[in-house]
Amino acid sequence: MQWRNVEQISCALETVFNGVLETRMRGVPIINPALSVQAIGFNPFNGDWLGVLITPWFMNLLLLPGLDSQWREQPPGGKFQQSFPYGTFEFTLAREAQLGTYALCSLFSPMFQFENQSAALAAAQAALQGLLTVPAARAVSRRDLLRGAFGSR
Amino acid sequence: MNETFYDVMRRQGITRRSFLKFCSLTAASLGLSPAFAPKIAQAMETKPRIPVLWLHGLECTCCSESFIRSGHPLAKDVILSMLSLDYDDTIMAAAGHNAEAIVDEIVEKYKGNYILAVEGNPPLAEDGMYCIIGGKPFVEQLKYAAESCKAIISWGSCASWGCVQAAKPNPTRATPVHKVPGLADKPIIKVPGCPPIAEVMTAVVAYLLTFDKLPTLDKQGRPQMFYSQRIHDKCYRRPHFDAGQFVEHWDDEAARQGHCLYKMGCKGPTTYNACSTVRWNEGTSFPIQAGHGCIGCSEDGFWDKGSFYERLTDINQFGIEANADAVGGTAAAVVGAGIAAHAGLTALKRARQSGAEQQ
Repeated sequence: MQWRNVEQISCALETVFNGVLETRMRGVPIINPALSVQAIGFNPFNGDWLGVLITPWFMNLLLLPGLDSQWREQPPGGKFQQSFPYGTFEFTLAREAQLGTYALCSLFSPMFQFENQSAALAAAQAALQGLLTVPAARAVSRRDLLRGAFGSR
Repeated sequence: MNETFYDVMRRQGITRRSFLKFCSLTAASLGLSPAFAPKIAQAMETKPRIPVLWLHGLECTCCSESFIRSGHPLAKDVILSMLSLDYDDTIMAAAGHNAEAIVDEIVEKYKGNYILAVEGNPPLAEDGMYCIIGGKPFVEQLKYAAESCKAIISWGSCASWGCVQAAKPNPTRATPVHKVPGLADKPIIKVPGCPPIAEVMTAVVAYLLTFDKLPTLDKQGRPQMFYSQRIHDKCYRRPHFDAGQFVEHWDDEAARQGHCLYKMGCKGPTTYNACSTVRWNEGTSFPIQAGHGCIGCSEDGFWDKGSFYERLTDINQFGIEANADAVGGTAAAVVGAGIAAHAGLTALKRARQSGAEQQ
């Protein structure tokens, strides 16, 4: 799957996971009925696409591979680390017939703590914004300065 | 006696090369950057060895069994050389009165400076008569040793929560260490699990030694670096959960495909532990990878939460906060967008690789 723009991504993700909600997840008691499937804030990041996916049963950070992504052809279930301004996160590889390979990092699951979609949306946006922001700087010690070990965490 | 850990290891025939390798492995297991290996090495070379008393109450010795199988053969050599010198009735050479004399000796000689590791717990019914060590109730030995220790490590679910011997109706009144009445007020590190992961156990001891302080603990007293995420958060089968692909019967096609075990009673969504990241037997596998759901053995009262094969359905079972710091399952609904934003940031912080804050 070649990812081109936000509209295509949102449409594909929402179609697939709405399909999952109506079929495989039917009757599973971990659905928060107040929520719906929504793809949020997908933007290019480091050659891939980064965003958040909200469903009634999970909220994940999601990476969709660019054409040159090294992890594009790796088998599902594998893991890799991805650095962001906020820190390093571990992503798990997944494969879905209509989406191809993608990578996820769990934020919430299940989703019972969200009263409505706008609360889930606010949490997703805060997480995404936080992820791309460098945490407040720590005081740099002389030792760290000499080692060059500052600002990297 | 100012023997260092390094002295002990050299005496055991461990080469310097192996020693340095152990230091890098320990740094890695603590989630620290390789730059920390020299710091660990330096601490091991210069700081006097911390004596450890390892007491056994009502337990099955699975914690010790796990511990001596630490991933790296050296880790076990190192840690065992540290421990067997003092007191651990499973692995020490001494027996009978000689053994019990060691407890007195450590308590007297290292007042306030030794670590008290407790495997198992004391039964309090009938004045502690259900567990007798050296002719006396275990609870007395525990209180005596706790009085002069520096900190207590509660190994495993027995010491941390009570485990099977405290399961209802708990006829012997088996009681986890932190709930023993009259126990000296010392810092307690809970390392739950039945047993806990070997690498987690060695890392906790190595942390105490290297940094000379307790690791950051969550509100339940567990080291955050290993217990801040649920099995479910980092499970390699998580994509199947998200995609609604569940095993419905043992040995069905989904089971063969390695789909999610939630419907087979997996307790991964409510269990805080490092199994899905550190794994077991030198990182080979863990229960879910072997095809069986998580039984939640590191959670409080896991024996009393129904069948291992029963689905998690009760909303409260999920510990709605999805937060290791939440005690019990408080069903607090996120209402305003302001609070929701905070929840999002908290989730982000939790998902970040541990160790980032341990510098």
